[in-house]
Amino acid sequence: MFPTSQQTIGPFFPAEFFGPADHDLTRVSAEAAPTRRGEAILLRGRVTRQGGLPCVNAVLELWQADAAGRFAGDADADPDFLFWGRARTDGDGRYAFRTVLPGRFADQLGPRASHANVTLLGSGLMRRVLTTLFFPRAAEELAADPVLALVPSGRRPLLLADPAGEEDGLRVFRFDIRLRGTDETPFFAV
Amino acid sequence: MTALPEGIEPEVPVPGYPNTWTHTPAQPLLPRPAGRTEMAGPVRLHRKLVPGAVNLAEATPGRPAIGQLMQIGGRILDEAGRPVAGAVVELWQANAAGRYAHANDGSAAPLDPNFTGHGRALTDEDGRYAFTTIKPGAYAVPVQETWWRPPHLHFSVHGPSCLSRLVTQMYFPGEPLNALDRILNAIPDGAARSRMIARFLPPPSVGDFFLGFTHDIVLRGRHATPEA
Ligand SMILES: [Fe+3]
Repeated sequence: MFPTSQQTIGPFFPAEFFGPADHDLTRVSAEAAPTRRGEAILLRGRVTRQGGLPCVNAVLELWQADAAGRFAGDADADPDFLFWGRARTDGDGRYAFRTVLPGRFADQLGPRASHANVTLLGSGLMRRVLTTLFFPRAAEELAADPVLALVPSGRRPLLLADPAGEEDGLRVFRFDIRLRGTDETPFFAV
Repeated sequence: MTALPEGIEPEVPVPGYPNTWTHTPAQPLLPRPAGRTEMAGPVRLHRKLVPGAVNLAEATPGRPAIGQLMQIGGRILDEAGRPVAGAVVELWQANAAGRYAHANDGSAAPLDPNFTGHGRALTDEDGRYAFTTIKPGAYAVPVQETWWRPPHLHFSVHGPSCLSRLVTQMYFPGEPLNALDRILNAIPDGAARSRMIARFLPPPSVGDFFLGFTHDIVLRGRHATPEA
């Protein structure tokens, strides 16, 4: 069967769909205690469109491995980690997630560096856009990553999250997404 | 992942919808093979995206929303036609007057206090979802060359993997505005467009109080198996 076609999320995605802990991957539900495995971090950034203007009311979905590089369904995956979270941008285009620093793993593509994946949905985006951000770790780890290697070398720095201090005892990383124009973020087909 | 046939996904820019140009990447998308991260997804996402609000048309008990009450349901399937159990299905829509209960909707059409406008369901073992709602009204898109959106439902579906995530819209059969809608017609392939139009159910199969429509949604990612 053919998959159903994508359509834009439009400007009216209900605010009621965002629960208080949806942006927090370290909890499997709003009531659950956060996972105790790994290093909890904050991931923040700003989404802009052509001309550097803020992209407001965009929906971001984040998914990644747990702190040990395992995924949901693996026998030894962290049962207290959800692997997925959702956030929306404010009037200035800013978003925020709480998660854990993802672990490395190897799969059929090769040794994967510490990374998280983003789906972005928004008014005017007729298809979702996908990207992958990399946490700043050893240069060899990044150099060996087979997905980062698909990006033209001059654009690779655009996929690196930057350390941005600490807050409430947690390290903060910043990752800005530029949908179109100068320093446009590299996006992947799948 | 196998590539999709041409014409199934929408093309940009959409005339009269300037955001489709300003928000869409100018650089070509980078193809990448699917690895573990593309096949992965959350387990039992409904712990966080809590389903249950499947009746949009009775925000106040005993006071139905204004409009044509309607049952909409169907199945969530994968590309092999197998039902996707445990999928989270989110629905949002305008009320009978074509107005969204959303801060961004500045239209002059009235709100309906008895209509919530949004709901969330979890598919059963057969991949089925069902909502009770009203048929939405058409609404004008306030851009330079105004056009009218036909009645439509917005669906957001979370399948078993992040590959099978889908945001789409559903349309109604026989609506003259369908042929003029720039968002529906951004999909080049006619057969793909017709798959986005729900099927009308004959009234005897629905009961005395509701219009009935059925609509199946097919997700990508045939390799993924649903998590229990
Ligand atoms: Fe709409």
